[in-house]
Amino acid sequence: MNTQLKAALFSQDNGFYKEIRANSAIEKEARINVYRNNIFVSLMDALADIFPVTQALVGEDFFRAMAREYILLHQPQSPVISEYGDTFSDFIHHFEPAQSLPFLGGLAKLEHSLLQLTNEQEYNTLEREQIAAAFENASDPAQLILALPPSSKVCTCPFAIGSIYQAHQSDATHKLRDIKTTNSEHLLLAKSHIYAKLYIISQNEAIFINNLLQGKVLGEAVPDNDNFDLGASLAKLIDWKLLIQVSEPSI
Amino acid sequence: MTSAPAKETLSNDKLSRVEGVSTPSSFFHQTGISLKSKYFHSILADFPEIGFFEIHAENYLSKGGPARHYLQQIREHYAFTVHGVGLSIGGEMPLDKQHLNRVAQLVNEIKPEVFSEHLAWSTHNNVFLNDLLPVAYDQTTLNRVCEHIDQLQSTLQRRVLIENPSTYFEFTRSDRSEIDFICEMTKRTGCGLLLDVNNVEVSCFNQKTDPYDYLNAFPVHAVGQIHLAGHTLDQNAIIPLKIDSHDEAVCHDVWDLYQHTLMHVGDCPTLIERDGNLPPIAELLTEAHYADEIRAKVRESRHEYTA
Repeated sequence: MNTQLKAALFSQDNGFYKEIRANSAIEKEARINVYRNNIFVSLMDALADIFPVTQALVGEDFFRAMAREYILLHQPQSPVISEYGDTFSDFIHHFEPAQSLPFLGGLAKLEHSLLQLTNEQEYNTLEREQIAAAFENASDPAQLILALPPSSKVCTCPFAIGSIYQAHQSDATHKLRDIKTTNSEHLLLAKSHIYAKLYIISQNEAIFINNLLQGKVLGEAVPDNDNFDLGASLAKLIDWKLLIQVSEPSI
Repeated sequence: MTSAPAKETLSNDKLSRVEGVSTPSSFFHQTGISLKSKYFHSILADFPEIGFFEIHAENYLSKGGPARHYLQQIREHYAFTVHGVGLSIGGEMPLDKQHLNRVAQLVNEIKPEVFSEHLAWSTHNNVFLNDLLPVAYDQTTLNRVCEHIDQLQSTLQRRVLIENPSTYFEFTRSDRSEIDFICEMTKRTGCGLLLDVNNVEVSCFNQKTDPYDYLNAFPVHAVGQIHLAGHTLDQNAIIPLKIDSHDEAVCHDVWDLYQHTLMHVGDCPTLIERDGNLPPIAELLTEAHYADEIRAKVRESRHEYTA
C-alpha cells in the first residue's frame, strides 16, 4: 500500500483516496495535502541548508521552484539528510531556467563537496615547530613525504567558482561584482580542525599538492616549472594546518 | 483522580533496570530540551541548568564535523536521550540494516537514558521521504511493526520507546483503534512508549475525537518519556487541521493536557521539543522550568492523596 501512498504524495493522483477515511473527496485531498506539503517543504528546506550560496545567487523564490522540480525527480536515498543533493549540480546543469548562470551547477557541486568533507573524520595536524623539526632531522629533505588529510581534493573549474563562493562568506575580502566569472580556477578542498575549507591555488600548487596526495616524496612532488615557489607553497600548507605527517619513506 | 497508585519510584526503578542506568539521573527529575546546532556555543559558555538534551540520531551519524565535535563536548556535562527519525519502523520493507547499525553505534557511544522511535514510516523502496507517514491499524501492520521493534531492540540491546504519531488522516482499512494497536504492540514486544502530548492534541483534533478520552485510555504503565511541542493550524478552507510543526512554543491546551497526563501517569521524564523557528535558548529553558513547576505540583498533590 505504501507504494500507492508514496506515488500519491508525488502527484495529484486520487487513486489512493479510497484508503482515506473522510466525508468527501475534497476533505481527503485536504488531509493528504498536509503530507504532500510537509515532504516538499522539509526537502526544500534541507536543500536550502545544504546549498546556501546557490540559493543566495538565484534568490529564494527561484531556488525553491528549482528545488521542487529536483525533488520530484530525485528523492533522498538515505535518512541522513545532510547527504541529500549529490545529483543536484547535474540537475542544475540541465535545468533550462538556470542556463544564464553557467557556473551555478559547479557552485552547487562545490557546496555539496565541502559539506560532505566537513562531515568526514578529523585528523590531527602538525604545528609549525613539529614540521621544522622533521625537516631539521631529515638526512635529505627532498626524500620527505608530506601527508595531507587523505580526504583532501584538488580540482580545476572552468569558472571562478571558488571566488564566487568566498564572496558569500562572512569573512569575504572581495565583492561578487569584482569577479570575472569566466576565469578558470584551481581549488583545494581540505579539512583542518572540524570544518572543510576552500583554498584558491595556482596551477603549480595544484600539481604540487596532487603529487603530495599521491604520496610522492618532496623532491619528486615539486612541479618542473621555474615559477614555482616551494617555500611559499609550504608556508601556506603550514599556515592552513593541512599537514598531518612529515616522514621519511620506510625502506 | 480516582486511581493514583504510588508508582512513581517503581516506574523509575523499572526504567533504570531496562535502560541500564545505575545512578539516579537529572533525566528523571528535570525537564530537558532539544539540542540544536544553534545552541552549541551558548551551552558550552553558560552551562544552563537542564535535565537533559535530546538529539535526533540522524543528525549525528557522520564520522566527524561540528555536530559530532560539539555533541561529544556537551555529552561530558549532560544526560542525553536519542530520538530516531529515520528507521521507518512502520515501513513495509525490511529495516535498512546499514542505517540501523550506524544508529546502534551512536547509541553505544552516547549511552543515552532512552532511545525512542516513531510509530510511522519514512522510507519505501530505498527512498527516504523526510516525514513521518501514517500506518494502518490492522493485523498485517501490527505483525510487521512488532518484527521491526524486535529487531531494533535486539540490535540496540535495550528496550526502546515508541512514540504515538501525529496524523492527518485515518485509513479505511484500519480495523482497530490507535490505542488498541499501541497496547498490542507494547504487550508483544515489551517496548516502552514515548507519549507525545502534542501529537495527542493534533491527532484528536484532526480526527475529531476527545484528547482526554485518548489519554485516559493510553497504556500509561509503559510510558517512559513525554514530549511537549508546539503546533500550527493549517489554513485550508475545507477542514481545519492542526499541524505538528514543532516551530512554536507549547500552547495552553497542551499544557492543560500535560497536567492531566501527569495526574494519570505520575511524574515522568519530559522533553520540550523544538525543531524549527528556533528562539533564543532561554525561551526553551523557561518552558522546561514551567514543566518542572507542573511536575512539582503534581508530585505534591499525588503525595497528599496517597498519604
